[in-house]
Amino acid sequence: MQKPLLEIRNLTVAFETDAGRIVPVRDLSLTIFPAQTVALVGESGCGKSVTALSIMRLIPQPPARILSGQVLFDGRDLPALSEKQMQGIRGREIAMIFQEPTTSLNPVYAIGEQIAEAIRLHQGVGRRAALAIAERSLADVGIADPHGRLREYPHQLSGGMRQRVMIATALSCRPRLLIADEPTTALDVTIQAQILELLRKLRRDRGMAILLITHDLGVVAENADVVGVMYASRMVEFAAVEDLFDRPLHPYTQGLFRSVPKLGRKMQRLETIAGTVPCPSCFPSGCKFHPRCGRTRELCSETEPDLREASPNHWAACHFVENYSGAAAVAPMLAHRREIVAGDREETAA
Amino acid sequence: MSEAGKSSADENGALVEARDLRTWFPIRRGLFTGASGHVKAVDGVSFSVRPGRTLGLVGESGCGKTTVGRTILRLIPATGGSVLYRGRDLFAMPPAELRRMRRHMQIVFQDPMSSLNPRMSVGGIIGEPMQVHGIASGAERADRIAALLHRVGLDPAYARRYPHEFSGGQRQRIGIARALALDPEFIVCDEPVSALDVSIQSQILNLLRDIQEERKMAYLFIAHNLAVVEHFADEVAVMYLGRIVEMAAASELYANPRHPYTLSLLSAIPEPNPRPTRTRTVLSGEVPSPANPPGGCAFHPRCPLTRHAAGEANATETVEIESGGERIRILKRCRCEVPPLETRGGAGPHAAACWVNG
Repeated sequence: MQKPLLEIRNLTVAFETDAGRIVPVRDLSLTIFPAQTVALVGESGCGKSVTALSIMRLIPQPPARILSGQVLFDGRDLPALSEKQMQGIRGREIAMIFQEPTTSLNPVYAIGEQIAEAIRLHQGVGRRAALAIAERSLADVGIADPHGRLREYPHQLSGGMRQRVMIATALSCRPRLLIADEPTTALDVTIQAQILELLRKLRRDRGMAILLITHDLGVVAENADVVGVMYASRMVEFAAVEDLFDRPLHPYTQGLFRSVPKLGRKMQRLETIAGTVPCPSCFPSGCKFHPRCGRTRELCSETEPDLREASPNHWAACHFVENYSGAAAVAPMLAHRREIVAGDREETAA
Repeated sequence: MSEAGKSSADENGALVEARDLRTWFPIRRGLFTGASGHVKAVDGVSFSVRPGRTLGLVGESGCGKTTVGRTILRLIPATGGSVLYRGRDLFAMPPAELRRMRRHMQIVFQDPMSSLNPRMSVGGIIGEPMQVHGIASGAERADRIAALLHRVGLDPAYARRYPHEFSGGQRQRIGIARALALDPEFIVCDEPVSALDVSIQSQILNLLRDIQEERKMAYLFIAHNLAVVEHFADEVAVMYLGRIVEMAAASELYANPRHPYTLSLLSAIPEPNPRPTRTRTVLSGEVPSPANPPGGCAFHPRCPLTRHAAGEANATETVEIESGGERIRILKRCRCEVPPLETRGGAGPHAAACWVNG
């Protein structure tokens, strides 16, 4: 069997605050195989960004603490590495792009210098060679006149261009895993389509794995091979994208799917999930979804369900899912990848 | 207009009508020099909203949709054109009368945090419009505030709390209660759900719809999410760089989009289906700056239709331009003349501003 590139096992992250300990990520397990896109879906405060930052070790410790669990990247446990060892991985083997490209770029440096900085650091080349690589990276992400752009500053670029620069920086060292945290949320739909197409192309051409964090079910459906749904610090469902959309098992996933207006289907009223998303300092007892769930019974407020394999290759954490009896998952593993054929559905207007 | 005329819409059946609305912002390069140019955020926009109906206004960032909403409420001064409310020109109205008119027109903002005063209690926020307009005081006002909170799905006891104590969805409910305080006939909803979590968005959309049915209010619903607008609006106008490029009944517009920009917007929306059914047109290029929009049809540098049409047209009717670093050939007309928003029959009036597919 193929080996996973990234394997998160029972990760629990806590923040020690003045108001006590909060746990934004609890007992989270996840695997990503090479050339696979795994999407992490959830609403604000569900822990998806903290998970990403924990992989990269970008959360300040303290106040954050990894209470338990392992993050195995190619067999190495990232939380156990020294900061120096981690610097050799961060940016080089695992790169990350963020939601807001404006705040992620330094406004007082030309973009060429910013891309070249990462290249010089990780590849040990000189300034001139680094700038040449930076220029090629800009061309790779579809920026016209890459040579001229090297000398421009972030404020001279549009939002979509800035996100391309972020991606160029992230890809300049040819990472094996790209973590994309809401990469298109701040962009317009026509620009979003361009950026997602670019990510699909890079994955196809380079075999790069992607951890895609988003709240947009459309983006998930079109880009992910495997999806993990998070709710209030826990993974509540994990499956291949087709299985998840065909037959969502967890009541939260089902409610989420039903409450989103879909193009071409006009409804008088939308279905809703009652109540509000709980904040990490006020998570309920038992199953964290039980106050909003239509199927709640007594058991739900008392015992938190584990993530179990409820049907083949489809994991869910709910007491009342059919066949909820399999062994608790150590780390759910799915090497599933969708066929992506070059240009199968993209009809680029050019 | 007579007093009797006030209680009905104007002769076209419109509650609010914008005619050739223009909002330009001056570009100043120095402290003492005059304007060196203008950002034409809204440049000749006309539409009408009928009583009890919803007009959806969609477009990407910078297209001018928010400016339209604010200009018709006179929150931003207009550069030209007029807005008729029940047939009366809001821009020509004396201040005292305008103030009386304002109680009929309210707005719900996108960001419920920055649009609620953090130092006022929820009761104060909802009660302030009543105070300004001298409607209800003392116990009666408190009763009304309680009823409004109850209506938007909040506990009336929350009137004593402050905005920071609430979640985003609850804050948006407070914003809606404030907009309803004066029992308006028309509400501008400026991206009312785009800052909210997915599971909360549907709650707020249902609330807005229920209130509309109860009170027969009209909405101008501004949004960038076309799926939300399809669900919510009766009619839809699509804006690109300060102009409306297509307008029709929602069912007609989504079933038979005519303008190439509408087509590409629709096809760009990711489909929540892992086995996609639509083919996609990925537009090349970026939205140009409204300070320096392309001449002719503003969409021509990104338009797939005009390129296709140029391939079949006589060489004298085409022109070569540069777009996104490449040379492309397009119709001369699209480069030089602004296409008018022309109505064509079909299943109800359907207007599009396009030389190729108008």
